[in-house]
Amino acid sequence: MKLDRRWEELTPEEKREERFKRWLSAPDVNFISPEAREGYRARVTRIIKAIKLEIPDRVPCQIPTGSFPAYYCGLDLKTVVYDYEALRRAWLKFALDFDSDTVGGAGFIFGGRVYELLDYKLFKWPGHGLPDDASMVQFVEAEYMKSDEYDAFINNPADFMLRYILPRTWGAFSPLAKLPPMNSFLGIAFLMLEAASRPDFRPMFKAIKEANKERARWLNVITEISQTILEAGYPSEGGGMALAPFDTIADMLRGTRGAVTDMYRQPEKLLEAMERLIPLSLQSATESANMALSPTVFIPMHKGDDTFMSDKQFEKFYWPSFRKLLLGLINEGLVPTMVVDGSYNRRLEYIKDLPKASVVWVFEKTDMARAKRVLGGHACIGGNITGSLLRIGTPEDVKKYCRWLIDTCAPGGGYILTLGASIDKCNPDNLHAIVDTAKQYGVYK
Amino acid sequence: MEKKWVDLSWQEKREERFKRWLSPEVKFRSPQAEKAYKERVTRFIKAIKLEEPDRVPVMLPASFFPAYYAGVNLKKVMYDYNALKKSWLKFMSDFSDMDSFGGPGLVLPAKVLEMIDINTHKWPGHGIPDDAPTYQFVEREYIKANEYDKLIQDPSDFWLRTFMPRQAGAFKPLAKLLHLTPFIGIPTFYLSSFGDPEIQAAFKTMMAAGDEINKWQKVVDEISRAVLEAGFPTLWGGMCGAPFDMLTDMCRGTTGIILDMYRQPEKIHEAVERITPIVIEEAVAGANVTKCPIIFMPLHKGDKTFMSGKQFETFYWPTFRRVMMGLINEGLVPMPFAEGNYEPRLEIIKDMPRSSVVWYFEHMDMAKAKKILGDTACIAGNVPVTVLCTGTPQEVKERCRQLIETCAKGGGYILAGSASVDRGKAENLRAMLEAAREYGMYK
Repeated sequence: MKLDRRWEELTPEEKREERFKRWLSAPDVNFISPEAREGYRARVTRIIKAIKLEIPDRVPCQIPTGSFPAYYCGLDLKTVVYDYEALRRAWLKFALDFDSDTVGGAGFIFGGRVYELLDYKLFKWPGHGLPDDASMVQFVEAEYMKSDEYDAFINNPADFMLRYILPRTWGAFSPLAKLPPMNSFLGIAFLMLEAASRPDFRPMFKAIKEANKERARWLNVITEISQTILEAGYPSEGGGMALAPFDTIADMLRGTRGAVTDMYRQPEKLLEAMERLIPLSLQSATESANMALSPTVFIPMHKGDDTFMSDKQFEKFYWPSFRKLLLGLINEGLVPTMVVDGSYNRRLEYIKDLPKASVVWVFEKTDMARAKRVLGGHACIGGNITGSLLRIGTPEDVKKYCRWLIDTCAPGGGYILTLGASIDKCNPDNLHAIVDTAKQYGVYK
Repeated sequence: MEKKWVDLSWQEKREERFKRWLSPEVKFRSPQAEKAYKERVTRFIKAIKLEEPDRVPVMLPASFFPAYYAGVNLKKVMYDYNALKKSWLKFMSDFSDMDSFGGPGLVLPAKVLEMIDINTHKWPGHGIPDDAPTYQFVEREYIKANEYDKLIQDPSDFWLRTFMPRQAGAFKPLAKLLHLTPFIGIPTFYLSSFGDPEIQAAFKTMMAAGDEINKWQKVVDEISRAVLEAGFPTLWGGMCGAPFDMLTDMCRGTTGIILDMYRQPEKIHEAVERITPIVIEEAVAGANVTKCPIIFMPLHKGDKTFMSGKQFETFYWPTFRRVMMGLINEGLVPMPFAEGNYEPRLEIIKDMPRSSVVWYFEHMDMAKAKKILGDTACIAGNVPVTVLCTGTPQEVKERCRQLIETCAKGGGYILAGSASVDRGKAENLRAMLEAAREYGMYK
């Protein structure tokens, strides 16, 4: 990006325009044909207009991949987690068979061997803790951070991650638990050097090396998949990634039960810890987005759902720190794109309190008519084709529901036809039905 | 039922630590050695508690002196661990009436410093003349004026990815590591760092340097154990500093911090706040290993010539005090060593629990110190190194006598130098020990 003024001096809108320009021009991409380049520009333009609450040529549509490509190709999740060649075949076939306006890469399908080499404990997957034919990954929630460890986290997050969380969540990193505090504010990091040479650390370094080799093999395939998809004219789904501070604590550190207990027993600690997370999450999301073409930041939303907490709790524990994070991202010219699991019917008024046309809300089960009523003219929304409809409905059912969605949400712009969940198995024609409806029925006149 | 550690008062915790210090897990060389050890430790404990021991205890100011006494020098013992051991043990057997002695933990292993290509230190034969008797710290703005937030937001991350790469050439690639904390949820991204050949090379160097540290540490441990078995207690339970000094010495440098006091005082406040609990944690962890409850705290920038009284009260004292309180609450005994002149600070530093600290002074009117601190803290000091290095034994004894007469009354005094001696005179150190026996007996 060549600029007349320094980046920090630009307004958030100007920064975003710069990022949009780069996304549109895709400077380093060798498209396979002039048509691919045209298709890419048309798709990105469509999404940008939806984000900006302007009227595009038609309603954009996005089909989240999930593990569907594997089943679509007659394979299963277990196969593609271990067999990177199969992964490549499946993803490329899916990407080119469905004319979605964005196509996600395969980055969420992790390399099973990589995690095995490091003995990762947060996931179970088919063949590793789950039946071979399981079609999804199981997240293993637990109190990885104990209730009396907030101060350790608050005082020194990276130290806490290194010496407490990593050893508890990765078998290979268990020696790290034996380290002394790693700061040496007085001098030379002798303790750290000493640790590096301990015999019980050798297996850890070896495991990291092995895992990294394996990860490089996996990453080559992932990169190639993304590049091929892009060169065929399909923009990717997201740039960076972030989590709401409350979700970071509740998903990753304290578990749902722990976080809920903390709301009653030590609310101040919980709030303080979330406050500490904001600048760190902001920084990493910005850095990851800077490496990508797309200025969107994918944010999966978990524990703020209508059923997990009361309005009051949302107001106190979930929204303030999350809003600060969002404003930070917006200020960097990024476009936070929330995928809201569950339903947000009771949250719509709160989440309206953001700059106009600055974010995208993709809903899973939220009432879309109400969402349009509250957020319409204010924020771009997407959703809420359900997984169950795709799984058991007919293409006609899907079309009918998509038409209703377009009638309800598309007027005036600011709508993306999509779903707030990902899919594993369904009739491929149901997915074609989404794209077809967007193309035939979603045209703005 | 015994109370849990957290439920004990600081005095109770300290008694526990004193007990451990009095009865180390070691096989003494002889019953006499064991008896002498207990007498010596008791002498210090009583002084700390402002009680009268049998006589005034002495801390010999002999940091690198054993090397010169044995006919070698600092350079030699930094490179040659055998020479290090020989000189330390020789000093120990020749000064068999010392009250305390410890291993040479401050004689850094030169090979390690070379391997990691350290930027912050010069040492004899490496940047300063072969016969230099001490290190030269290379103060610089290792951290720029606009980098405070990194420290404030995530101290260890700052340490690993911002400070360490500038501290030593071998750590430079660590700057390319990703930020660990936000990757809680998506940790495989973090792994990509380890694929970088330069980072791998850095880890290799660190592992090799670690092997060398182990060789050195083994010798230091052997010496420490021999010293202990011979009946000499160490006063070295660990070391830490005042948060303001850490920020100044290591990060911003004197020039930088002085500008910051005017241009961005809030950042200094936030940074020292952040450093405070970390310093406490580290010092406590260290003392738990050494089993000696005394934490040595060399003080730098709080001296009267570096800052005004108001600046001391605003920037220096509050977090420094909190670090000391944190140590005290864990049953440890902070021993701040006030380099330079702390005379105008006496009224301020008085504000500590009774008998919780040992104040060790360099330039100080000790009569004034006794008058102001005498009821609250044990004091130590300050036979001038000039006299120790250039005076006669008689002059040294005379100085010691004056100090004892001024400070020892009622207990709470440790006879010590104003700083340490390197190429000094053995007979003058002996004179200190004699003076304590001659003039320092409590009746």
